[in-house]
Amino acid sequence: MDAVEKANAERQRRWAKDQKIGEGTYAVVYRGREVATGRKVAIKKIKVGQFKDGLDMSAIREVKYLRELKHQNVIELLDVFSSKTNLNLVLEFLDTDLELVIKDRSLVFLPADIKSWMAMTFRGLEFCHRNFILHRDLKPNNLLIASDGQLKLADFGLARDFADPGYKMTCQVITRWYRPPELLFGCRYYSTAVDIWSVGCIFAELMLRTPYLPGESDMDQLKTTFRALGTPTEEDWPGHTKLPDYVPLGQFPKTPLRDLFTAASADCLNLLSKCLLYEPRRRISAKDALDHPYFFALPYPTHPSKLPKPIPKRTSSLPFEELDGNTEPNSTGPGVKANPPNKLKRKHSDEGMIERSKSIARKLDFSQ
Amino acid sequence: MTAELSPSTPESSTAPRATLYEASTQYRHWRYSLQQLAHTRAALNTAAVSAIREAFESDEPGSSSNVSFLSADEEHLLVKLYVGKISQLCGHFRFPEEVEATAATYMKRFYLKNTVMDWHPKNVMLTALFLATKTTNHPISLEAYTSHIPKTAPSDVLDLEFLVAQSLGFDFAVWHAHRSLWGLWLDIQSLPDAPLDDLRASYDAALKHVRASRLTDAELVYAPSQIALACLSLASPPLAVAWARSKFPAIPDPPVLAVLEPIKDMILKDGSPPEVEAVREVDRRLKLCKNPEKVVGSTAYTKKKEEAERKADEKRRRKADDIKRAMEDGDPFGSELAGRAVDDDDDDDED
Repeated sequence: MDAVEKANAERQRRWAKDQKIGEGTYAVVYRGREVATGRKVAIKKIKVGQFKDGLDMSAIREVKYLRELKHQNVIELLDVFSSKTNLNLVLEFLDTDLELVIKDRSLVFLPADIKSWMAMTFRGLEFCHRNFILHRDLKPNNLLIASDGQLKLADFGLARDFADPGYKMTCQVITRWYRPPELLFGCRYYSTAVDIWSVGCIFAELMLRTPYLPGESDMDQLKTTFRALGTPTEEDWPGHTKLPDYVPLGQFPKTPLRDLFTAASADCLNLLSKCLLYEPRRRISAKDALDHPYFFALPYPTHPSKLPKPIPKRTSSLPFEELDGNTEPNSTGPGVKANPPNKLKRKHSDEGMIERSKSIARKLDFSQ
Repeated sequence: MTAELSPSTPESSTAPRATLYEASTQYRHWRYSLQQLAHTRAALNTAAVSAIREAFESDEPGSSSNVSFLSADEEHLLVKLYVGKISQLCGHFRFPEEVEATAATYMKRFYLKNTVMDWHPKNVMLTALFLATKTTNHPISLEAYTSHIPKTAPSDVLDLEFLVAQSLGFDFAVWHAHRSLWGLWLDIQSLPDAPLDDLRASYDAALKHVRASRLTDAELVYAPSQIALACLSLASPPLAVAWARSKFPAIPDPPVLAVLEPIKDMILKDGSPPEVEAVREVDRRLKLCKNPEKVVGSTAYTKKKEEAERKADEKRRRKADDIKRAMEDGDPFGSELAGRAVDDDDDDDED
């Protein structure tokens, strides 16, 4: 056996798959453990054989970036190995995600809790940006939560390095409700500010407990955005009318954030408004956000271990992560598309094999 | 793999003063001293020769005695030839420099884990380049790729992709000297007394040296920024000194300059493609000493295939038995099995 094969086999033996916990078009996720220590892990098995262009782009991106990033607020890739024609990513096991937390009506959020989640999100994002990596798919269900309460950025299937200025990037990224207006207007040159917009939407969602800008189509997304934040003027956002896909969408008045976020502090709204500035260059950076007075004012952020958390059922509800790839299996090249926002990325089945097999059998494709 | 054997560098994000570069897989897994490099290659070669000798013997006893195997240096020569060919192919496809540089890195790293007697560098080169287009976010379809390369089928590229990715330890991100040089170029334009007229010429000359450095081991020994500064120094020594002084104004002889000499020597000495005649001779011998287990149709190959098949069969049978037993227990869903470890390559969800 070749040395490389041998090394792979050795690594494979370090991890055991226990139970399938989810399946999508592009990967199967298992709960597993490290054989030597019993440490719980998630093993994401990516089916490679089916792609005619070989290893697919989301898998490559995810592996490439997670191999480099090691931070408390970024999901940890513990190992990579192959079995036959499958690629297996061994990831740290995380109990739940922010979307489930937001949706759990039995949980009450205090302002300090929201501050804590926001601080962890910005910390993880600042680390990505410091490493010249754009996440490009931030949303509550990609913010996973560990048993100790630490929040971690996950799903790097759409991530990329910053391009040099003047290098075109695709605007078909970021789940629609969290997608900034510059991308909706077809902007092909963009920066870390796209991720900040997404964080702004998540911030608002934490306070509202419902998605802040739930557009029904790309066009409606812009309208929803403008309805909430007012139609941008040339002064708010110089040059936006010249963007490739610009269309005038009518005049919506600016309503103060205060009208909707009645309970928020002034600092809080100030930071939120800086995340949701139309002009991407004026939007706050992750680093500056961490220095924002909001994080230094009372109440101080809740300690992660004290954050509200869904009560686990008999066997804990299983988080399914990144089940659907962003690559279209039938496309002619390795292109990407953003997930439609209502595409179910996670399923939460009750206990019992029958129930589980049923829900796994269901195809999770709601593409429009 | 050395990649896994080096537990040394602290990886915690809270570790003070660890630069981004020091946190990279390139720094943690793919930097060697010259001695380590030589040792790694020699050990790999010795192991390969003894394994292949065995394969020859199992194919036909006594057949290995008059085979002249390649030495580590000869292997390296062949790899170097094909690293050079990457650049021609990239020109043909008009791939960006990043793709070319990444593919060259992948080739060099691959042959720190594998021998050319198992995997011919021509095939590995095609696969490494294809993989590099994807990892650097410049993907093209496999069909478009292979249709432009004579005598190459999609399977030639794809069959090795997994092996290459595995050999790289899935460390796809690479920091390149040409990017560092770009940074130096931006810096030197704002030096107070830079001789503006020949700046551009110096940059172009330095970039040529960076490209030459891709044929050498420099990136396996030195940091990209060191290589870039060495290349600048080859192009214009005063400019390199001026840059270093501007960065370390308090130190009369910035230590970074001391590192440059061995790098410059290496680039001047090893930075040109190998003599074709010498390589041809090596390649001719390679035909006679390559691992028969990798040659389709040989007895050793068939034997190895059969063994793999047999193992897979056994596994399938075991699994079928498990399911059968579960059925007999009256539980078609096999809840008994649920608690047990899942078979690692469970075939049922392969399709």
